[in-house]
Amino acid sequence: MTPQAGGFEPQGRVSPAIIDGVFRALSDPTRRDVLDRLSAHSASVSDLAATYDMALPSFVEHLKVLERSGLVRSHKVGRVRTYELVPKQLRMAENWLARQRNLWERRLDQLDSYLMKMKQERKK
Amino acid sequence: MTSSVIKIDPKLDLVLEREIDVPVELVWEAWTSPEHLRHWFAPKPWTITACEIDLRPGGTVNFTMRSPEGQEFPATHCYLEVSPFERLIMTDTLLGGYRPSPQPFFTAVLELAKNGSGTRYKAIAIHGNDEARKKHEEMGFHDGWGTVVKQMVEYIKAGRMRP
Repeated sequence: MTPQAGGFEPQGRVSPAIIDGVFRALSDPTRRDVLDRLSAHSASVSDLAATYDMALPSFVEHLKVLERSGLVRSHKVGRVRTYELVPKQLRMAENWLARQRNLWERRLDQLDSYLMKMKQERKK
Repeated sequence: MTSSVIKIDPKLDLVLEREIDVPVELVWEAWTSPEHLRHWFAPKPWTITACEIDLRPGGTVNFTMRSPEGQEFPATHCYLEVSPFERLIMTDTLLGGYRPSPQPFFTAVLELAKNGSGTRYKAIAIHGNDEARKKHEEMGFHDGWGTVVKQMVEYIKAGRMRP
């Protein structure tokens, strides 16, 4: 999986796709917990998976979402894959304008699905 | 055109454009009637518990946002322009009757255009400078991400990991 490295455009702007990926990654409690643990030190997949009550493939899927967002990266030595945090990407989520964009995107997503519902109901 | 008056500053402002296969009248209704606005305006899991609209320039939309923890945040936005099915402009920099607000943060411009049987709309969020933004956050506005991000960044800043 290739992490979307960087994401910063000139003038410090961040591309909306990168922002969406970061906030999607942060929207799940398991993934937030993994980030929390990785902020202390890097860890292998099996170390990370041991504390969660879920099937390994589901857990690995969470790790993939995190890696795609660029919040973490991994490297493999022999049969052991180790994950570490990429702090730069997390600082991007601290950017207030990125958060405002995420807020508006979510708001308009809700608007669009609500509008489709309104349209269906008017037809009846 | 209002767009020609607005100068977008990419460091402060957002422009979001969308197309949807719903008549423009319906999009206008969703933005301007309280029973509809409350269903979508707060990003989930936040909710809107109360909403009142006086739809005219100088009139207001008053609403209360409720956090998942149950904390409530009342807000007032003043309408600056109300052009049915075309343009709606509101701001929290003013209260009702154009009285200046103590917590100015943003102006939102919604522009609608018929697009076949559907609608093309543009939402522009114009924000104040850094000072206004800091004050706004200190006064308790939350976007649903503040806490999560703050905790994460605090871990990083606490030097619990290598940079």
